[in-house]
Amino acid sequence: MPGQGARSSVLVNSTIAVSVRHLTRAFGDFIAVDHISLEVARGEIFGFLGPNGAGKSTTIKMLCGLLMPTRGSGTVDGYDIITGSEEIKQNIGYMSQKFSLYDDLTVEENINFFSGVYTVPEPKKEARKEWALEMAGLSDKRGALTKTLPGGYKQRLALGCAILHEPPILFLDEPTSGVDPISRRNFWNMIYEMARAGTTVFVTTHYMDEADYCDRLALIYRGKIIAEGAPNELRKNYMTRDVLEIEADHLVEAMEILEKQGIETAVFGSLLHATVEDAKAAVPVIYKTLGESNIMVRRVDKIVPSLEDVFVTLIEKA
Amino acid sequence: MQKSLERIKQMVIKEFIQILRDKRMKAIVFVVPVLQTLVFGFAVTTDVNNIPTAIMDLDHSFESRELVRRFASSGYFSIMATPTTPGDVREMLDRAAVSVALQINRGFSADLKKGIPAPIQVIADGTDSNTTTVAMDYAGRIIKKYSQDLAGPEVRSSARVDVRQRAWYNPELKSKNYNVPGVIAMVIMLTSLLLTSMAVVREREMGTMEQLMVTPLKPVELILGKTIPFAIIAFLDMTLITVLGVLMFRIPINGPLWLLPLSTAIYLLSVLGIGLFVSTVAKTQQQALMASFLFYMPAILLSGFMFPIENMPVIFQYLTYANPLRYFLVIIRGIFLKGNGFGILWPQMLSLFILGAAVLILSALRFRKRLG
Amino acid sequence: MKLLRIKAITKKEILQIWRDPLSLAMAFLMPVLLLFIFGYAITLDVNKLTTIVYDADQSSISRELTAELTASGYFTIVRAAENQREIDTYLDAGKARVAVSIPVDFAKTIASGGMAQLQVLVDGSDSNTATIALGYLSALMDIYGQRVTGGRSSPLIDSRVRVWYNPELKSRNFIIPGLIAVIMMVIAALLTSLTFAREWERGTMEQLIATPAKPPEVVLGKLIPYFLIGSIDMIISVLMAVFLFEVPLKGNVLILAVISSVFLFGALGLGIVISIVAKSQLVASQVAMVATFLPAFLLSGFMFAISNMPLPLQWFSRLIPARYFVTVLKGIFLKGNPVRILVFDAIFLLFFAVIVFIVANGKFRKKMV
Repeated sequence: MPGQGARSSVLVNSTIAVSVRHLTRAFGDFIAVDHISLEVARGEIFGFLGPNGAGKSTTIKMLCGLLMPTRGSGTVDGYDIITGSEEIKQNIGYMSQKFSLYDDLTVEENINFFSGVYTVPEPKKEARKEWALEMAGLSDKRGALTKTLPGGYKQRLALGCAILHEPPILFLDEPTSGVDPISRRNFWNMIYEMARAGTTVFVTTHYMDEADYCDRLALIYRGKIIAEGAPNELRKNYMTRDVLEIEADHLVEAMEILEKQGIETAVFGSLLHATVEDAKAAVPVIYKTLGESNIMVRRVDKIVPSLEDVFVTLIEKA
Repeated sequence: MQKSLERIKQMVIKEFIQILRDKRMKAIVFVVPVLQTLVFGFAVTTDVNNIPTAIMDLDHSFESRELVRRFASSGYFSIMATPTTPGDVREMLDRAAVSVALQINRGFSADLKKGIPAPIQVIADGTDSNTTTVAMDYAGRIIKKYSQDLAGPEVRSSARVDVRQRAWYNPELKSKNYNVPGVIAMVIMLTSLLLTSMAVVREREMGTMEQLMVTPLKPVELILGKTIPFAIIAFLDMTLITVLGVLMFRIPINGPLWLLPLSTAIYLLSVLGIGLFVSTVAKTQQQALMASFLFYMPAILLSGFMFPIENMPVIFQYLTYANPLRYFLVIIRGIFLKGNGFGILWPQMLSLFILGAAVLILSALRFRKRLG
Repeated sequence: MKLLRIKAITKKEILQIWRDPLSLAMAFLMPVLLLFIFGYAITLDVNKLTTIVYDADQSSISRELTAELTASGYFTIVRAAENQREIDTYLDAGKARVAVSIPVDFAKTIASGGMAQLQVLVDGSDSNTATIALGYLSALMDIYGQRVTGGRSSPLIDSRVRVWYNPELKSRNFIIPGLIAVIMMVIAALLTSLTFAREWERGTMEQLIATPAKPPEVVLGKLIPYFLIGSIDMIISVLMAVFLFEVPLKGNVLILAVISSVFLFGALGLGIVISIVAKSQLVASQVAMVATFLPAFLLSGFMFAISNMPLPLQWFSRLIPARYFVTVLKGIFLKGNPVRILVFDAIFLLFFAVIVFIVANGKFRKKMV
């Protein structure tokens, strides 16, 4: 039977949905993905976080069989990503970064198309279509041309099209890019539902605040994984120090002054985050140093480190 | 003004980078004109020679063989087969294995000796009427000459009309001399028209047009930025083809060389104008491609490039006045073959200029409207 | 291969084509336009040659000669020149293509039994027209010359010339069947050469290759709609040829349909290969023009006889499917050829179609980069 050879019998019923070892991808001299190893359990929502250009999209494309790895190996749903890429495609759903739907087709026509391509069996077709329309909130817009839809709807439609065939694993590449916050929240609710129903979801994103929605995370920077674990684990393990939030004038100046004092500081929006060994000792120092330079400090508070703080710290260490 | 030129310059550079970044485009821009020149120079020949011929000689006499020899050595006929039955001859003509068949029956030599007119059958495949006409002419001449030679010198002495025939400008009647200069016109139209229209529409399709419109770039600058690169490419092509034509095909350039780039520039007004026009009509590159071609084909066919305009029905002849290619071809051929100078060609150049300016202005106006 | 997938892909492609009515309209307009132009405007039949005559003799004989020229129907005398210089001017300016100069002592020389000379100049820049013009002239002169010099014994060789298949030598009959091959090739190129490249540029190809759809399914799915359009174009072309231009159709229509379909499949396949390999619409369009339209137009024997071309090009033309299709078309229309004769060409077309399909599948990688 086709594809049997490419599937490792050991992993067929295992609890591991995705596993990669030393996965590498180079484009000429540029190494986009540098020896990544990780595992994703079934039913998990696994987040792949990192800034743009870190290698997230390249990794996900290798997992989906869209790109050949330069080195390394991996399996998705038990199939080898190098020799079994076509089998993998049968069993996954993929949503590309641009939510590639056919703009000149209607909502319904797009669904019908993907339904046919994934050969959703006849008895289920109608039901799945209605489900997708319902989930996307497009039941009464099924005749609308896709290009007329606002971003949030397109996103949900793309998701719907990716899971018509009820795949056990879902790969989403930056699914919330350029979508409004409310739509983003709704989207994640949908992902939760699916995970609870047993689907494994592998998501890439550059929004740090979405990290808390995931069961487990990997932080990726310049092609390497710099941290891995559940969100709280990451916060606990990687943040051994305290974080202080500073509200002051002349942010950049203030930052430079504090840095000169040896205090790690970074700009966070209109505030400063300072990472210190001991918050209690550091607070007065900050007031004094900035006061000496005539910078008005409105408040200094200790905060719970966000994943962004974790990330920034890790990057600076790297 | 300074800023304006700077912006235009930037656009032109960007366009070049985009086009030439793709290695294949680089190849295309230069390979295509060369290919077309070669093909047109070599293939598009209405010079008739090496006509595949079948000879059925049932007489096998000295005379019949001599006639066959004359056919074979004429250079016009290429003896492909010697069938022995009329059925075979039919088969060969049906299958298009030969275009002409010469049938010499038994008794040919005997008839000649007896002084009775000896019949010969010449059968021509009329599907290619052009070749047929010429072939029949050649065959007729060979036969007539042989006939006269057989008759002997006495018969030839009395008064007759001696026709001196000469062909001017292209004395050996090489069709490549006629065709290759025309290729310049054709290539420029194909490449520049297609590239201009598709490049603009591509920007629209990719969504970057919006981005351009938000900048201080003025519509005129955008237009210039989009058309100048292709004008430059057109000049390069013109030079390439001219050099190739002269070196490889030994096409003569009898007229003033400086007229060539000047007329090309005037010609480009029309071509780029039409390209611009297409870009205002087409929303996708697919549409641009088809629309360009829809214009290109009639333009080539009804220009006098391959088919003389005088032979066309009057209505179509009038239509050709709106075709920039028509004027450009006269100019080009005039410069290359006839040695025409500005004195003779200025009406054509003026007409081309007026036509080009009109097309370009109208298209530019339409383009601006669509942007706004 | 799953039929369901092919159906889904075909349906999508049809919907997309349908939603681009401008392109669709142009796809149908193209054959009509080309046939119109070739049928009505273009003719290789050479007549109405603009002629200028300088009759220095002005005798009854010379005037008779001039009248003969007009009577033949091939020459249109645009000017009776007043001196030799006018001839130069007219030829230079292109106002006349043929110039005949009758010397002042023409009639006298003939009457005295000497050899009278006639000078004929032909504008050779259009060598085709020139060659034919010279042919007409020499034939005319032969007949006229004989008459004027009092006739002679009939030639020893009586050559009878017969023209088969297109006895009136109507160039239209010769051009239009072959034109259909060119039209099909062009349509194929224009329609399919952009289809894959377009999806790459828009990003939908990435989504498609992440699905289980296999290369043959995608290729077929994309080919079928254009095959339908091409077939309609084929029907339009044949109908126009037969009913509007009265080109004879002596052979079997069914065989025509079958072989045309095979050719169409191959032509579309070629466009698809170009589209797959090019990945950019701009590149694809240029390559398509050069690889499909030009060879079909110039090297297929449609208009320019292959036997006139230099040998390397003749060999090269054997690789061009349009060449075989042109032979088939001329064979079916004008010669009424049976299958037995068409079979060789038809097999080549089948071969080509199969190979192109295999290449398309091979080249379509379900991977990015």
